[in-house]
Amino acid sequence: MNKNYQQIRAAQQKLLKDKQSNEISVLKKAFTRCSQWDDKDEFLDVIYWSRQIIGIVAGIIWGLIPLKGFFGIILFVAVNAGIIYFYFMNFQKIDEEEYGGSWELTKEGFMSSFAGFLVMWIIIYTGVHHT
Amino acid sequence: MWADTILIVVISVCTALLGEGLIWLLVYRTEKYQKLKIEVEKGSKKLERRREGMSDSLDKQQKKKIEREEERLKNNNRDMSFVKMKSMLAIGFVFTALLGMFNSIFDGRVVAFLPFQPISLVQNLTHRNLPGEDYTECSFIFLYILSTMSIRQNIQKLLGFAPSRVVAKQGGGLFGPNVTGQQFK
Repeated sequence: MNKNYQQIRAAQQKLLKDKQSNEISVLKKAFTRCSQWDDKDEFLDVIYWSRQIIGIVAGIIWGLIPLKGFFGIILFVAVNAGIIYFYFMNFQKIDEEEYGGSWELTKEGFMSSFAGFLVMWIIIYTGVHHT
Repeated sequence: MWADTILIVVISVCTALLGEGLIWLLVYRTEKYQKLKIEVEKGSKKLERRREGMSDSLDKQQKKKIEREEERLKNNNRDMSFVKMKSMLAIGFVFTALLGMFNSIFDGRVVAFLPFQPISLVQNLTHRNLPGEDYTECSFIFLYILSTMSIRQNIQKLLGFAPSRVVAKQGGGLFGPNVTGQQFK
């Protein structure tokens, strides 16, 4: 039983180590044009985290300007989808069929990015324009 | 008011961390769960590779192999959900109580201003227990739900607790889409 557990721990630690060294190379690949993505998950992670960053940055900008009303929301959706679409179609030039169509890529991590955007937008808007 | 807004985001970060910490303590670190997780992940990857590599004309043996693997994966997924379920329920109760407590602390207080007029469907949430008709005023619950939505998923992903995409695609257990739904026909 104990031996089994140690084996699992060892496997996990190896995975963690691989992951850490992998992260740097993934970051490099993300900023290189037309990179080769052997692991689909890596590319989807890049999309996911860039979405979160876009959400937070957009939230701050929208709050500072301030953009108001549904125009702000629609503009965010368009900007968010547009940047990601441009990134995978023109910058990385991946074959979207490999990932189940461009829709799958467009919606990857969208909801949490949208929630993050709304929170930032509301916080900055309240702080800058209502206190 | 801004202090309240920030406080709510901090509360949701804390509760998300606490929640994940508790689940780790009760579920993720147990040997049984880790074993099942590795097995499910391996099985899902294998199954996906097989599905990708299969041609249109499959012989019966290959079909059977895929079906057998799906069956095994389904069982493992079910076991994993059972391991998780009890602790999840307990944690669910704790968090409902916590939410109730925060709800009563911030009851009737405007915690933020929305930069948009919410549609009537969500006004119930954004204007919960608030007096007046100014629907750009935001109640505690709406901000809390929003920040939890974004923070929790990101924390899970950062800590590596989120189920991998392959597993999610194959059906994330008892409450996810069923594996049998995607069975080979």
